[in-house]
Amino acid sequence: MDLVEFLNYAIAFFSLFVVNIFILIYLRHRHDYLKTPENTGWEPFISIILPAYNEGAYIRNSLNSLLEVDYPKNKMEIIIVNDGSTDNTLEIAKEFESRTVRIYTKKNGGKGAALNYGIKKSRGELIATMDADSYISRNAIRELLPFFDAEKAMAVTPAVKIRPSNSPLKELQRVEYLMILFSRKLLSFIDSVPVTPGPFSIFRREVFDKVGLFDEHNLVEDQEIALRIQSHHYKIKSSLTADVYTEPPDNLPDLLRQRVRWQRGGFRNYWKYKFMIRPDYGDFGMYFVPLNFATITAFFLILAIMLYSVFTTPYYVQYIWLDAFGYNVGLFTFVGAFVIITSILFTYLSVKSFKNEKVAIPYIISFILFYWYLMVGYNLLFVYKELRREGYSW
Amino acid sequence: MARKLSLTLYGTAFLISVVIFLSGVFVGSLIDRAALGDLSGNVKDISAKVSSLQILLLMEGNSSAFCPLYLSELQSIDEDMESLGYKLSYLEEEKNAQDPELKKEYFIVQAQSYLLSRKVNEICNDRKVLLINFYSNKDCELCREQGIEILKARNQLDIPLKLYSFDGDLGSPVVDAFKEKYMVRSYPTIIINEKRYPGYHSADEIAELIRGLDDN
Repeated sequence: MDLVEFLNYAIAFFSLFVVNIFILIYLRHRHDYLKTPENTGWEPFISIILPAYNEGAYIRNSLNSLLEVDYPKNKMEIIIVNDGSTDNTLEIAKEFESRTVRIYTKKNGGKGAALNYGIKKSRGELIATMDADSYISRNAIRELLPFFDAEKAMAVTPAVKIRPSNSPLKELQRVEYLMILFSRKLLSFIDSVPVTPGPFSIFRREVFDKVGLFDEHNLVEDQEIALRIQSHHYKIKSSLTADVYTEPPDNLPDLLRQRVRWQRGGFRNYWKYKFMIRPDYGDFGMYFVPLNFATITAFFLILAIMLYSVFTTPYYVQYIWLDAFGYNVGLFTFVGAFVIITSILFTYLSVKSFKNEKVAIPYIISFILFYWYLMVGYNLLFVYKELRREGYSW
Repeated sequence: MARKLSLTLYGTAFLISVVIFLSGVFVGSLIDRAALGDLSGNVKDISAKVSSLQILLLMEGNSSAFCPLYLSELQSIDEDMESLGYKLSYLEEEKNAQDPELKKEYFIVQAQSYLLSRKVNEICNDRKVLLINFYSNKDCELCREQGIEILKARNQLDIPLKLYSFDGDLGSPVVDAFKEKYMVRSYPTIIINEKRYPGYHSADEIAELIRGLDDN
């Protein structure tokens, strides 16, 4: 067995191993993963920070959902931070101005800065971040609050989903969001929540005093804050029932741009927190952070192996290409096929674990392939941009 | 922070992965075996064709009356044999599926076919050039390259070129007899129309050698 073959098998085994760990965590928590802890009647004052930069198309929906949420109006404030919008965002926001909704306008300075600005103007015991292109379900706050008490959490993440639609690209992303959500919940069981998503994660105000505010120069500030909170040994919990709906990119170039941003920012953040690879950081340090590095390494190895096998294809294959193709349905393909089947099962499990989410089976099956090509796309762009040391921009 | 992923969980995940992984290996190797089994059927088919041609030649002696039949039979044998050779190499090199016995059978058929071609060339006054490539899969960096160069040379030439290749280290009695006859001491060594050229030769060199033969 040569090195390339060994790497092939090693990566296949590694992928199986990781998927199986997730499946086992799921089995261990299969009875409580959808449950919200008991409500203790705790009703703290909540400040919702809504940074908005040219969100005229969506902000009305977003504000309506916040005002319709099931929570006493005298126990919440909504702080809109108009981040130098040049469209009608401010006009629309003004229609909502009231005792509950306050508007601040500042010079454009990025999302992290806008969030920090809002936090400084707020007075809530809890701080919720919000995205203007998202809207929350009526019970979102009621579903999120109990986790703070029961689990001594510093932050709780909601169930960020995408509305069903007819667009294949959106449906595939919907599958992905469900899988991310499912994985995040499983990761919360081992205290390794990778991100506190922009739309409607709720934080205790005190956590910002202890670990600092959002990083204003980060491509994915909602991930950085989650890593930072856990690097101070604080817990983040995850809800699967506090639904928040967001608007995904509806075309491939926008999707790629978004993912390249996530990948660049994400990789830098993990690199920054690599010091957490230590036993005293629990599974976060000993499983989760190393897993992220292993995944990206494995990805580039697979890509290299594929290129290598293209260049080392024997000369005579042109005379028997049809047979050679047939032979490739041999050994390695079957190991690979078993890995892919296991991955599809995991995707299926992710979607099925949400009782009220229906996704067409073809989308579940084609998701793995779609995701692979998406990964090839954004990872190559990621490397290209990093090598050129291209500046960060949104 | 406490670690919640216990050794038991890691161990269980590992075991499940091993089971799935080995199932993949098992099903995959069944498929590879089946591919080799398929080739073994091919060798037998070619062998049957070779035997019929041999019988025909023995019956009719040196009469050139049957040349069209001889030539078309040989042509079909050569085509089958060449593609079989590539398939065997591909399975061996790329898929690690080996069957030395099958290879030995294949070399016997090749040797028979070579001798028949030589005979038919003589009887029918055919100008086909016969090239044998002696190679080894052990410690022969250039053998793989040599195979490619020979194919390239054939593509360059207008003169029909028939290819035969023998793995000299397989311990096949037939191949050993050929090695003895042509005094092959190192790999690669090529034999063009019974003449020995030890060492590596580029496509251009081979083409030049063959064109040279033609002028004589």
